[in-house]
Formats: sequence, C-alpha cells, structure tokens
Amino acid sequence: MKGLTLAAAAFLLIVVGSALALRVYRGHKEFKVFLAAFAAATLGYVAAYPLTPADLGFLPAGWLEPFTPVDFANGLVALALVFHGFWCFAYFACLSPSMGVMVALRARGARGISAAEALAMQGREEPVNLIFQRRLPKLVEGGYVSEEGGTYRLLPPGERVAALGVFLKRLINADAPLVGSRPC
Amino acid sequence: MLKGILLAWTLVWIWATLQGVVFQLRAPDKAFASMVRCFAPMPVAYVALHLLTPADLGVLPERAVGGSESMSLLNGLMLLILLFLTGVLFYYHADRSITVRLLIEMMRAPQQRMTLDQMQAVCGVEVLMHDRLHTMAMNGFLVERDGVYHLAPKGRVGGLAGAIARRMLAMKAL
Repeated sequence: MKGLTLAAAAFLLIVVGSALALRVYRGHKEFKVFLAAFAAATLGYVAAYPLTPADLGFLPAGWLEPFTPVDFANGLVALALVFHGFWCFAYFACLSPSMGVMVALRARGARGISAAEALAMQGREEPVNLIFQRRLPKLVEGGYVSEEGGTYRLLPPGERVAALGVFLKRLINADAPLVGSRPC
Repeated sequence: MLKGILLAWTLVWIWATLQGVVFQLRAPDKAFASMVRCFAPMPVAYVALHLLTPADLGVLPERAVGGSESMSLLNGLMLLILLFLTGVLFYYHADRSITVRLLIEMMRAPQQRMTLDQMQAVCGVEVLMHDRLHTMAMNGFLVERDGVYHLAPKGRVGGLAGAIARRMLAMKAL
C-alpha cells in the first residue's frame, strides 16, 4: 500500500506539473511535457520509496505489504498505467476532432451543428486542413516523412511506424473499412 | 499481494486473447461495448479465483506470501481494471490514430510518395468528420435531427469533460 500511496502522490504531481508546464510551453511537442512530468514523478517515486517509513506515518499495519520489492514494483506499474490513461485522455480531450465537435456543441447550446459547420471547424476551406497543419510538420521534423516540391515521401522511421500500425490493425481486424472503425 | 497481481495479469491476457479472437471472427460495430462484454466475467473470475486458490498459488516463494488477503484482492482488482482500460486505449491507438493512418496510406502509395491533395483525398477532413459524426451518433453521443447534430446526454458529459480538460491543459486544440 505504501507503493500505491506514493504512486498516487506522484500522479498528482504529474497532473499539476503538466498542467502548469503546458501553460508556459510554447512549442508544438506537448508529448515532451508529459514525458518530462512522468520522468520527474517516476524519479521522485524511486527516490522517496527507500527514504520513507514503511507505513508513511499513517498507513494502518494491516495494509502494509511485507515483501517490499513487490510493493515497490506494484506502485510503479500502477503509476505507469494511470499516467498512460491520463496522457491519452489529455490528447483525446484537447486534440480529437470528435471532442472538438462535442465542446463546440456544448457552447452552441440548442443550435446544434451541421456536417458542413463541423467540416468548417476543421479548416475544410483552407488549402491545408487543420489535421494536416498540425501533423505534417511534426512528421517532417521527426524524420518520418520528407517534403520535396510539394510531394511528401515516407522515410524509413515512418515506414516502421506504418508497418507497426498495419500489424496492430490486423490484430484488431480494423485494416479493412468496417462499420464503427475509422477510415482515418 | 503478489497472488492478486499474478491473477490479474493472467486474466487480462486471457481476455486480450479472447478479444483478439472475437475481433478476428467478426469486427463488431461497437468495439468498446464488445470489449466490455468480453471483459465482464473477468472481475468475477478474479474474485472467485482469489478466494478459492491457496495463498501461494502453489508456485510463489514463501517470502512473497503474507500480508492482508483483502488488500491483495483489492489491489489485484484495481490492477485488472487498469490493465483492461490500458488494453482498450491500445485498441483505440491502433484503430483511430490519424497520424498512423496517414503513414500507412503513404506506405501503400506508389513509391511511397503522396501530394498534399492526395493525402487530403484519402485521409482528409471530409473523410474524417463524416465518419466521426456518424460514429458519435451511432454510439449515442450525438443525435441527428433534420441534418443538424445535437448533444445527447452522454455527449454533454463528454463535452463538459473536454471543456474542463482544454481549460486545464491549455494544449493547442484542433
């Protein structure tokens, strides 16, 4: 239980730390902010575990795990899983086009939104859709794709990610267009 | 505690294998509902196994046995649910990622090259939004009336969570 308690404290630091850091971060690689917050929280957990008493000064004796390595690893795994969930939620909540529609609809109240208005939200009228404005520069900067004279070419790191994507899609049987699955 | 952890990992792998078979046999219309259905017996099986099996599971070393049985049960249950949710998220990574889809389309293109127009044709905003609106309506987040989409109760909760997260995290939204 000591491990889980420390993991909960570390997770709180991740949430508060990443929220504060994102307010001052001016770049386009927010994942680095999340990873840095996770790394700092993990280091804090690893450092705090041996330095703190087994009951942390308040845990009941019946809650303590006698085998310390299991308790330590259990807290670390829980922290990693919860962080992954938080990271996914943050990206979904802030960047997903689906969430964008729900947030916009909430602001609009009873007016609702037509398909054309939803498309306009994503910059359909612009030469480059918003989904590409954000993603393509990152793919180029990351060395996954190169751009030459208006044509984008897949580079070996991008090919590896694509191959992994194909493999995962085959595992879940989502490679072919399916109802309820995304063409994109 | 190790007993609960081992049982949780074992059951989540059993679920993942079964779910993989289900997806291969027939990709369900509602993937999340399918995953919840397949997973539903696992917490019950976990509790039953935790209560019925010996403390050392017949394999654990003596030093790893001990501590509160109820804490072991609860910790394992929490881990089982966390692992399930992580599995669900991995499904969505594979199924929904726009970036991965874009890279796959490029990999399949002649000479692995595409212009922006080609990319927007196969993976652009029209393809994406029509699909997302349809799926959100199918899953009960939106309702469509006379060609206009409105929030359903489930969508109101989602929209509220999204609005709070966007205010709190200040990421550049799309």
